[in-house]
Amino acid sequence: MVATTDIPIVSRDRFAKARALHVILAVILLMSAAVSLETGATEVRLSTLVIKALAGTPFSQIETVVMLDIRLPRLMMGILVGAALAVSGAAMQGLFRNPLADPGIVGVGAGAGLGAIIAIVLGGFLPAALQSLAGRHLIPIAAFLGGWGSTLLLYRVSTRQGRTSVATMLLAGIALGALAGALSGVLVYIADDQQLRDLTFWGLGSLAGASWTKVTAAAPLIALSVGLAFMLGRGLNGLALGEATAGHIGLNVERLKSLTILSVAGATGAAVAVSGGIGFIGIVVPHLLRLASGPDHRTLLINAALLGASLLVLADVISRTIIAPAELPIGIVTAVMGAPVFLWILLKRRGMVDL
Amino acid sequence: MTLIADNIRVTYGARTALNGVDLRAEAGELTAIVGPNGSGKSTLLGAITATLPYTGRVTLNGCDIQKQKPWRLAAQRAVLPQASQLAFPFTVIEVVRLGLQAGSGATDDSIPMRALSRVGLSHYAERTFQELSGGEAQRVMLARVLAQIWKPVEDGQPRWLLLDEPVSSLDIAHQLQVMELAREFAEQGGGVIAVMHDLNLTSMYAQKIAVLSRGECLASGSPREVLTDGVLSCAYGCTLRVSAPVPANVPYILPHAASA
Repeated sequence: MVATTDIPIVSRDRFAKARALHVILAVILLMSAAVSLETGATEVRLSTLVIKALAGTPFSQIETVVMLDIRLPRLMMGILVGAALAVSGAAMQGLFRNPLADPGIVGVGAGAGLGAIIAIVLGGFLPAALQSLAGRHLIPIAAFLGGWGSTLLLYRVSTRQGRTSVATMLLAGIALGALAGALSGVLVYIADDQQLRDLTFWGLGSLAGASWTKVTAAAPLIALSVGLAFMLGRGLNGLALGEATAGHIGLNVERLKSLTILSVAGATGAAVAVSGGIGFIGIVVPHLLRLASGPDHRTLLINAALLGASLLVLADVISRTIIAPAELPIGIVTAVMGAPVFLWILLKRRGMVDL
Repeated sequence: MTLIADNIRVTYGARTALNGVDLRAEAGELTAIVGPNGSGKSTLLGAITATLPYTGRVTLNGCDIQKQKPWRLAAQRAVLPQASQLAFPFTVIEVVRLGLQAGSGATDDSIPMRALSRVGLSHYAERTFQELSGGEAQRVMLARVLAQIWKPVEDGQPRWLLLDEPVSSLDIAHQLQVMELAREFAEQGGGVIAVMHDLNLTSMYAQKIAVLSRGECLASGSPREVLTDGVLSCAYGCTLRVSAPVPANVPYILPHAASA
């Protein structure tokens, strides 16, 4: 028998580090927000406004409009969408037990997009009472339902007896994305002029159309979904052992899976509804965080929200300034940052992806 | 107190994997399930851990396991799966801590570290699980199981270790170490059920043995009652001699239990 004396004391190093990261990432988010409010097409600067406010000088009307109606909603949307994409990526990776699972890559984003487009094009057929009840939330809710359906389908297809096949998941995701894209195309084809304008307004893979309407439409669903994900950290840690063992250590696996799928669908749906599909945030952010402070979901999910928000806000600043006065679509910026990371993970795990 | 499986039947599609098997395990004993490949050993363990859908009835310390919440069951028994999987690069100590989720609620590392040191791996605590060899990984998972059910008896109720081939990828020294550990757990009043392949090891450590063959229980009882030429030959379909003389000029390895 091994002696039980002389047990070395193990530091809870990584957990403490991840907790410290909460603070660091929150500071980075504040700084990103300041940069975002500082830069833009007009000469309005946050710093000038701060100086004016300190000196007691009143703001011009242009300054007020630019700050409150253009930059602030855009910043809020960047924060909301970035946090939603990163958290849904991390949660989905926990659910599928795989760092390559991302709503954008495995077709859930496309499913959510289809939901949003159905709401825009066919929403008029809903009973008027339901339409007015849902109001501006109709499109985010429809996107959530689309994302939910596709996540459920994907999980059913790629998981057998508690084990998820990576190859099946990625391939099924391609098929699912293509199908949702095709149906979306058909709907766009039959849409009338007003609906086409609405489609343009809601989703082009950018934050360019940010408005308070969109921010308030997406915020409740994103807050609920991200908050739900934060409560699933312990469960997702257990799920890393596989479904059967997660049950053996006392987790209610079926409930955990359902809640995770709801959270992923809600966050993805709301994000897609207001910004179209912005890729790779959900892959890059959790991956960087796992490298920095380990895979513990209790801290990973919170850090993902903070870093995802910062990253998307900064990507938006780049997209607004790099070819100013024109705007580079933000999806290009995130793809340039994210696609190499995806390939890097794939290379490192080549042995495990048994295609 | 006991773990009783009554008339367990499990089917995979059209194939019947278990056809009405009974098993009775007492706390304070090590009960082994043996049998050839495909005889239904792991399936039986899957049923009594509520991992697989089955018909029949399994009671643990007098309560039907299907009527209990996962966290209630997890406080009474821990399960070591045959093959372990782990999705993300957790460290060894983080894996062992996962066992704590269900039970004690202890937040310090004393139990996980003691569990790791029981399997002789406390110096690996900060390593990444994926770096370990197969045998080391199996021992870390055993430490996680021990962390979940650290005390063999709690509140007067025995607690259970349900182990699916706990020594399958271990070297001979660690096979003995793990079997000693299981025996110790039983001697302190806990119950152990282990699916085993090595009949000699089983004979040394088990108080009760159930022999499965083609989805049915062929024999059960003490090693002396069960490990006979007739039963084993019938179960495994080959000629086996219990206590046959050592063949001439062939090295013949006989493991010895340290505490025997």
